[in-house]
Amino acid sequence: MRKILLVLKAEVVKQKQHDYHSYFVYFSLLLWPILGFLEVYFTYQPFTFTGYLGITDSRDLLAFLGTGYMAYTCFWSMVQNAWSMSWQEREGGTLEVAFLTPANRLAMMYGKALGALIQEVWMFCCFCLFVLFYTDTLRWDNLFLLPVFLVLLLVASTLWGGMLSALCLYSRDSSMIMDIFETPMNLFTGTRIPVSCFPTWAKLLSLVFPLTYCLQIIRLVLGIAEPGQRLLPSLLGLLLCMGIMVAVTAWVTIRVEKHNRETGELNFY
Amino acid sequence: MIQAAHLCKTYVLRERNGLFRKKTRKEIPAVKDISLEIPRGSITGVLGINGAGKTTTIRMLASLISPTSGTLTMDGIDAVKNHLQVKKRINVITGGERNLYWRLTARENLRYFGNLYGFSGKELEQRIDRLLRTVGLTEAQNIPVERYSKGMKQRLQIARGLINDPEYLFLDEPTLGLDILIAREIRELIRQLAKEQNKGVLLTTHYIREAEELCDSIYLLEKGEIIAQGTKEELAELFQYKPRLAVQTDLPADSPVWEALRQRFPDHVQVSPDQPSAFQVEGNAQVWSQVLNLLLEHQVPVEKLNIQEANLEEVLTGILRRSREGKA
Repeated sequence: MRKILLVLKAEVVKQKQHDYHSYFVYFSLLLWPILGFLEVYFTYQPFTFTGYLGITDSRDLLAFLGTGYMAYTCFWSMVQNAWSMSWQEREGGTLEVAFLTPANRLAMMYGKALGALIQEVWMFCCFCLFVLFYTDTLRWDNLFLLPVFLVLLLVASTLWGGMLSALCLYSRDSSMIMDIFETPMNLFTGTRIPVSCFPTWAKLLSLVFPLTYCLQIIRLVLGIAEPGQRLLPSLLGLLLCMGIMVAVTAWVTIRVEKHNRETGELNFY
Repeated sequence: MIQAAHLCKTYVLRERNGLFRKKTRKEIPAVKDISLEIPRGSITGVLGINGAGKTTTIRMLASLISPTSGTLTMDGIDAVKNHLQVKKRINVITGGERNLYWRLTARENLRYFGNLYGFSGKELEQRIDRLLRTVGLTEAQNIPVERYSKGMKQRLQIARGLINDPEYLFLDEPTLGLDILIAREIRELIRQLAKEQNKGVLLTTHYIREAEELCDSIYLLEKGEIIAQGTKEELAELFQYKPRLAVQTDLPADSPVWEALRQRFPDHVQVSPDQPSAFQVEGNAQVWSQVLNLLLEHQVPVEKLNIQEANLEEVLTGILRRSREGKA
């Protein structure tokens, strides 16, 4: 266990040392997610709020989008990280050197994901938490919920990121993951449009993404969920997704190492 | 001891036949039936020209790739099946500038790789201090690797390769492209690792002199096969490379001196076809001085003298030719 934690820590620290070299990094961490957030907010704002799906005024809308974009940014940063890791570390030859060590492969995958997550989203999360306080969604009396949903977000997106990192190890041509996930994840998971607005086929598609369950739980816990939603199905859905993600990551990691030992492709870039 | 028996590696390539046509499967044998031993406390050399299969061999021995057939054991442990277990006790150092995080400092790189091997805290920091001292990077330890020279990066690679204090070390052309002084320092370090720290070292190189200077036993590789093997003393006879003296004169093509040279040294003098006034002299120093004396007698001024070492390709060609003649 100590060695697994050591690998996790090594990956997190290494990513920080590798990526943080100027104030522009901090600037870009905040700027682009906020622009996306504001774009959607100002798109919806001119329309009259009718109380449909629990959104009665601009504060409700801000809270809805604040939670949506916070969770989406966590999950999306994992997609970006898996893709960039797959080519950066191949090109530098460091991926093969890491696989030369006896380090726990799963811990390596989750460490890479966790390192990227903490770095890439903390600033935007601070902004979103400010939005949630501003809209009275988070108050002193329910502040105890904050660590609950932060941990939930952290664990779910790290497992998601670990799975994508493992998948990206399989091939250096894994940039298609970006294309597969970018728009569908933004559209179907309830980041900016409630899932209940979708036709049945889209609702079914939304069940594929762990982000959907994660968002439903966070909004339920914070009291900004659509009317009629219950915690248990979302919780079970998320647990099932997490179980599947861990199993897929473990299987893919073993498979990828075997494949790379046969083909020597880990060294190609 | 690492023992490899009848190792083969065949890569499967799929050649493209256009966008909608099925790819053709092609098997490329990279290494064919290699058997070798790497005892602790000695340096084993694998010598061969580019494409001979040196890197594939080293990657197989280091458990980075699996052999298509054959067996590989480390102190009796099956290194193919138990590759994770074996990886604790080995490390690989390659020539070139990859395999390091360029935006991290030397210390940060070593700390990261040390953590992957399960080392941490004071033990790791002390080990890093010692390695940085060994490779002479203590002063530059907090500078990002991207600002290092090629030689400094190579020295850091060596420190990285020693971070887990491996029992067996694989060095893939560690002095490639380095200047003479740094290459000499690295060779001395390799010698110390084997002789003073009792590590089993496998060294691939295409520099004959490097192999001769360092290796206790040498395997010669050509097109994925071992074509010769033995101790360096045994192979010295096999190499039989003789330096040549290149002489540049201003002799006209019709000068009678050419005839005199051909008559007195029929087996040693070769005239360059593209440079009629230049020629090469094979043989030992005695033959060279006789040739130069003859030029002196005829008052032929020598414009340029140069000693040409045989390159590996020529030596291998010679060995291959002799081995084929022997078989015939």
